Amino acid sequence: MKIFPDMQPPVVIPERVNAPLAEVERLPNGVELHVLDCSQSDVMRVSFVFGAGTSWQSVPFSASATVNLLSEGTRSWTSHEISEQLDYYGSFFDVNIDRDYAVDTFCCLTKFFERTMEIAREVIFMPTFPEQELEIYAMKRKQQLLINRTKPDFVAREVFGRTLFGADHPYGASSPVESYDTLSRDDLVRFYDAVYRAENCFMVASGKISQPHREVLRSLAAEFRAGGAAVDRLFPEPHTEYEKYMPFEGAVQTSIRIGKMMFPRQHPDFIGLQVAASVLGGYFGSRLIQNLRERHGFTYGVYAAMVNFDKAGYFAIATEVGRQFTDEAVREIYAEVERLCNERVPREELEMVKNIIVGEMMRVLDGPFGLADVTMENVQNGFDNSYIDHTVARIRSLTPDDVLGLAQRYLGRDGFVTVLVG
Amino acid sequence: MIAVNRHTLSNGLRIVHNEDRSTQMVAINVLYDVGARDEEEGRTGFAHLFEHLMFGGSMNIPDYDAPVQEAGGENNAWTTNDFTNYYLTLPAQNAEVGFWLESDRMLGLAFSSESLEVQRQVVMEEFKQRYLNQPYGDSSHLTRAMAYTVHPYRWPTIGLELSHIADASLDDVKDFFFRFYAPNNAVLSVAGNITFDEVVRLAEKWFGPIPRRDIRVRNLPKEPVQTEMRRMEVECDVPMDALYLTFHMCNRLHPDYYATDMLSDLLANGRSSRLIQHLVKEKQLFSQIDAYVTGSVDDGLLQINGKPLPGISLEQAEEAVWEELERLKSEPIGEGESEKVKNKFEANTLFGELNVMNKAMNLGFYKMLGDTELINREIDIFRSVAPQEIVEMARRAFVPHRCSTLVIKSKR
Repeated sequence: MKIFPDMQPPVVIPERVNAPLAEVERLPNGVELHVLDCSQSDVMRVSFVFGAGTSWQSVPFSASATVNLLSEGTRSWTSHEISEQLDYYGSFFDVNIDRDYAVDTFCCLTKFFERTMEIAREVIFMPTFPEQELEIYAMKRKQQLLINRTKPDFVAREVFGRTLFGADHPYGASSPVESYDTLSRDDLVRFYDAVYRAENCFMVASGKISQPHREVLRSLAAEFRAGGAAVDRLFPEPHTEYEKYMPFEGAVQTSIRIGKMMFPRQHPDFIGLQVAASVLGGYFGSRLIQNLRERHGFTYGVYAAMVNFDKAGYFAIATEVGRQFTDEAVREIYAEVERLCNERVPREELEMVKNIIVGEMMRVLDGPFGLADVTMENVQNGFDNSYIDHTVARIRSLTPDDVLGLAQRYLGRDGFVTVLVG
Repeated sequence: MIAVNRHTLSNGLRIVHNEDRSTQMVAINVLYDVGARDEEEGRTGFAHLFEHLMFGGSMNIPDYDAPVQEAGGENNAWTTNDFTNYYLTLPAQNAEVGFWLESDRMLGLAFSSESLEVQRQVVMEEFKQRYLNQPYGDSSHLTRAMAYTVHPYRWPTIGLELSHIADASLDDVKDFFFRFYAPNNAVLSVAGNITFDEVVRLAEKWFGPIPRRDIRVRNLPKEPVQTEMRRMEVECDVPMDALYLTFHMCNRLHPDYYATDMLSDLLANGRSSRLIQHLVKEKQLFSQIDAYVTGSVDDGLLQINGKPLPGISLEQAEEAVWEELERLKSEPIGEGESEKVKNKFEANTLFGELNVMNKAMNLGFYKMLGDTELINREIDIFRSVAPQEIVEMARRAFVPHRCSTLVIKSKR
């Protein structure tokens, strides 16, 4: 007996994704200020984005130590006083670092914006990197890293970077924990002076933002030092190995990382390959999930994606599988990649994947902080938020033939890297 | 401030809604009032396994995920000791797809043995990945089993052991569904770019025809007051020692909840909090330390856990934590420190309401608690707690003979 209609309601996919453009101001010192006045809620968020990720460092751990120690002592305040004040206003200070960028983000209630920005001014412009704080930091991070390196998935990520780019490449390097023992205050000061500069920075503010708030933001942006010795990163040719197995005592699962060198996001085929990666493993129900999880029960999760850096990009697949399934899982993964190169993706499947990607873009944009994240990423890649429209249009236009062509051109077995830890 | 609209269908399904015109999305959340606490001792992990099975096809829809994805949606679910929560977000134009999907699996599942087979395997891999293959992964098993002697909170949602999951049969699954999954045991919450009238219309259309089911009244044993110190030491292959102190606290709706939550915030929320400032930064005894409340529907736990630095003995570390707890019990708390905790709570609350998904989840949670408007009152309740009340709470909570201490020693 059917007690209610089993008919599926019709699906509409929005043609456009609504991403407001940020108002951009360029200060005389060259710093760009991106403002998104977009919230009903009385909250604000300000991010300072620096080209100061780990690929900019010459001393191991100096980039992450620098950004993490900004708030651990300034000309006027001790580390304790800074955290005491931030905590007092319920404001958050968060740092994030990847290979290319270091980001300092302050979130606060609008009523405490001015107070929070006073703290931001100290943290960004007047850090003193006290010896003792560095010592505590280095000890803690060393312990954390020791623990992380007992996790097969963490180790696999590091080994994959080294295998794909080479152990000395800025995008592949990982350092021994002992490097924390020799990290000195001078390393941090040198790094800060070299890269925390106007030409290496932009700001993104979002939330409920009034004119007086803008004035405060402008005056902050204007404080960045311009000029001075510009640092440039050296990017040697990647030194890729293609197979790597690392035994891991006690592991009950094998971490599998499979990938292939591609290109940065600005490349005209990046978006197309992103779609291909999504077909393979970009969503729950993807081909790899269907195969490895639903059909075989090898794993709890498996993902495929295009990963982009400033000056490189790669195609990657990651999963943890029961140890006894390792060989079979690797075989199935490559079989799925090969299927992409041999068969057209059925139109319905491709349409679904496109809808997923567009829906995901809308979801990420939801809320003032989400919009700020998207804006930040677009600016990092040299775009403004109209890139969202461009991406949607490009995704919509892809045909099964296009995806097949891209797969054949880029996803052939040659050049793939396989890393197994477990 | 979240404007809440409410409605209940004749089959007992409770509906809560908040409209937000500024977003392009709609979030739909279905909370079922069943969690790991409703499991039998010999069949733990079942509520969570069941959560997986809810994606294995329903009465009229063979595959849950495909239509969500076609509609540009995203969905997931999670299980706690108290309840099971399913959510999806969709472009607002496709909200009805969500009503269709969620109502069909509330109506009935496909109950396929293949799906059970695969999900059993998946959940067992999840057990391994999160609890066995991670250093300290079994700490929640150990601490819960010490703190609770009769209440089913004594096992974590993943379950006591792999075999409980391995042994689940299709009959168990069916039985579980009809015992707990019913309109009169669920809350539907909707947030985003959709009107209340539309929500009620769609809910009547899709959920209205589902029959009410016979839901047994929950009757769980109350955990007796702990009267003796409990202690366990284990040696594991972990990189460093770890210390866990577990205390008892009230349930989520008890007036004492707020002062207890503030206690944990004073101890370890934020870099200027006491444990982090004194034990990590000043005395350099711990590499990391945290304190939190479980906030469960039945009487919960306040846990403090930390990892002492190498060269620091566990005794020394434990003593230092107790010194801080004694200070809380004996010295008055300044207005500044209590104001700090309150500002932080206000900020956390507002930050947690910024997207439609969080809004829908929060609405469902408070409705299940039985007091939806609490969502808008909590900041004021928090603000009204006097510093002296926190001190009194510390005196009642931090008593050695009501503490369970777990020590994990590194073999290395």
